[in-house]
Amino acid sequence: MWRTNLSVAFVVIGTLAVYTAVANIIPQVESEVPTELSLGADVTADELVAAGGELYSGAGGCTACHGLGTRAPDVVGVVGRVCAERKPELDCKAYLYESLIDPGAYVVEGFQPIMPDMRRTLSSQQIWATVAFLQSQGGEVTVTAADIGAAENAAEQDGSAGAAPPGAAGSGFATHPSDPAGLLQEAACTACHVLDGVGGPIGPPFDGMGELGADYIRRSILYPAADTAQGYEALAGTMPATFGGQLSAIQLEAIVQFLAERP
Amino acid sequence: MRGRRAALRLAPLAGLLAAALVAVLIPGAAQAQEAVRPYGDFPVIGARGAIWISAQVHLMFAAFVLGVPMFAVVVEAIGIFGGDRRYDKLAREFTRLLLIAYSATAIWGAILTFALSSLYPRFWSYLTVIFGPSMWVYAGLFIVESFTLYLYYYGWDRWSAGRAKLGHLGLGVLLNIWGTIVMFIANGWLTYMMSPPADVTADTAPETVQLWSALFNATWMPINIHRLIANVVFGGAIVGMYAAYRFLAARTDEERAHYDWMGYVGNFIAIGALIVLPFAGYYLGREIYEFNQTMGITMMGGFMSWLWIIQAFLIGVLFLAGNYYLWTGMGRIPGAERFTPYVKWMLLVLVIGVIVWATPHTMIASREEIAAMGGTHHPFLGVLGVMSAKNTAVNLMILTTFLSFLLYRRANKEPVVPWAKTGTLVQGAALGLSAAVVLFYGVYGYFVTAIVRIGFSVYQVLAVLAAMVFVIVLDIAMMRGARSRGAIRWGRMPARSQYALFILAVTFTWLMGLMGFARSGIRQHWHVYEVIRDTSPQASTPALGPAATMISVCVLIFLGLVAVIFWLGGLVEKPAHKRDGGLVVAGLPAAGPSGSGS
Repeated sequence: MWRTNLSVAFVVIGTLAVYTAVANIIPQVESEVPTELSLGADVTADELVAAGGELYSGAGGCTACHGLGTRAPDVVGVVGRVCAERKPELDCKAYLYESLIDPGAYVVEGFQPIMPDMRRTLSSQQIWATVAFLQSQGGEVTVTAADIGAAENAAEQDGSAGAAPPGAAGSGFATHPSDPAGLLQEAACTACHVLDGVGGPIGPPFDGMGELGADYIRRSILYPAADTAQGYEALAGTMPATFGGQLSAIQLEAIVQFLAERP
Repeated sequence: MRGRRAALRLAPLAGLLAAALVAVLIPGAAQAQEAVRPYGDFPVIGARGAIWISAQVHLMFAAFVLGVPMFAVVVEAIGIFGGDRRYDKLAREFTRLLLIAYSATAIWGAILTFALSSLYPRFWSYLTVIFGPSMWVYAGLFIVESFTLYLYYYGWDRWSAGRAKLGHLGLGVLLNIWGTIVMFIANGWLTYMMSPPADVTADTAPETVQLWSALFNATWMPINIHRLIANVVFGGAIVGMYAAYRFLAARTDEERAHYDWMGYVGNFIAIGALIVLPFAGYYLGREIYEFNQTMGITMMGGFMSWLWIIQAFLIGVLFLAGNYYLWTGMGRIPGAERFTPYVKWMLLVLVIGVIVWATPHTMIASREEIAAMGGTHHPFLGVLGVMSAKNTAVNLMILTTFLSFLLYRRANKEPVVPWAKTGTLVQGAALGLSAAVVLFYGVYGYFVTAIVRIGFSVYQVLAVLAAMVFVIVLDIAMMRGARSRGAIRWGRMPARSQYALFILAVTFTWLMGLMGFARSGIRQHWHVYEVIRDTSPQASTPALGPAATMISVCVLIFLGLVAVIFWLGGLVEKPAHKRDGGLVVAGLPAAGPSGSGS
């Protein structure tokens, strides 16, 4: 009886061992969770491309179709060269962005419209990082933090949850971008800058800063040492260079627009 | 004995009551905790591991208690209408095991409920808000189902003849109806997680989700059908495994003959239902693609693509083991030797079929792998790995298995109808024509576009099904009043054949775990697909290796508990053995196989 029991146990466990071993020997592919990005306003093209590359080959799920030559066009090493020619009215960046958020708008000849709207699974930052990676495949990367901010602004305005899904970009400040004055308060900017007649005298006043233009203001926040305002030379270097990393792209753009519009 | 039976009777209800209490009480508690604790933790294996094991083992027992009653009621009906007492005895023997299996199902159901409510409190709360009323119906039906089972088993002697026996059979049918409805309700919950209604989004409050639309979602009916058939397969496989063990442990020829016959019946039902299962699988797959193309691609061509190679390997084992058991069994049938020369050719077709089916094609490959292959597909294997070749292989394997059954069925029979020779030729022509149609569309599929090629699989399936129905109907007519070449020598089976039944049962169980992983895993990092994100530390879906290890652990737990159930069932028999010195199953007179049936 014991012999029978042992032989049965051997067959059962042996069969399970074979199946487990075979499943462990074959290539192991894990379905990763898309990592939430926290791209600051000073994000570089290289950082965007690196983040996008990880999404492309991992959690984005792109390689399930792209690269096989059957389900979807190959993009690696190619798409950056041809993206600007797909739709005459769209440049490369706009075309690639559209292909991720509205993939049915243009389907490459010979393929079926099976691509999903990536806003269902990726945040705005992740989508723009993917666009940057795709641009880098034979072309020039033109995606910047401003693109992300603009997309998130648009999403806020039209209320489309898809463009900024739950868990999208985090930042060092909790104030909503719709309240740029509050953001300036939270970031303690008014300790040094005067806003509506209130604030410190260490930096140039926000009141009247609009005449400097949005580009200057943005650059001054991201790279405080790049320019020094007239009359404040003695205090050069006081402004922290950390705001680019603390503000989310959408918060930065909200502040820039707010200050640029101040007479 | 009475005390033990009473305990057996109460255990499922106690487990169910505990689970129901949790279902009702926990949502409130969970809502209160929502802000602070979306997830709990479990030592060593983590929260997901705990849920995985408790859900998988519960589902395996659920399949056991749904599949075996189907088996029992069909077998009882054959006994009633065929006048063969062996079938009645077989049905009763398995119904006895069901009583204990019900307890195990309820206990694991309660464990699963406790695990969900303590490890995933926020998500569990969400589900109970939507499905609360259906959970109460589920609990109520489970009680009714349990009571029907007690009536069915304990009333076996009282309602054993005449109209009362038909009433008893009706109870068996009712038992299956309750069980099927219970399964359908639970399927609604899990398929909602896969394919929520289109109007449910991340912003939808669960209170506003309509219960009916949540239950009757896109993949609900395909899963219902697939599980229904799979449960029949599973029930047959478990019966076969039980019979194999009892055969190996048998001390008398009579016992050995009984369990040899039981093993044959179990294998027949398992393989017979398995032949239909791929068609239900195609239906489910198509509905998944219809619901969400991305989900379909993730399943078939994304990170799960290698899973289907493993599945092909497992199904290949099932076909080979099932056929091997039949071919070995022909050794105990006088007259079967005339079919022996065909066996090697059938084996060849099966082996080639498995190789083709298990050939990888559209897999995610690294750049190094693509460079080594000289392209995205292997230059030679890529040709075999496409659906045209695979569909052809599967259909020819099904036809070959059907032919094995046909030869087995005819082995000791000699038709006496005057048109027997013509009938056999027509049968051969029908099978040959079917194979030709399958091959034609298989080859033609290489020369047409994908969308046309997909349609060819329907023609192939229809050709095979039509041939099988036609041939078996003709065979029944042809074998009416057939002369016997000699009685089947039940019990004269080599021991190695019984191990094939073990391999079948283990493989079916493992395959069930693998397909459960596939179904659940295609949601990836979503509790409810594209509605509720899994933000727990274990949100990523594991690769096949770790998943396989987990599946093996679940199968071991399940089979270990099944062994205990079998042992407990055997305890009831022992006094009877001692009393009569032969095999007597409680309440029935000793009755060995009649020796001539098949």
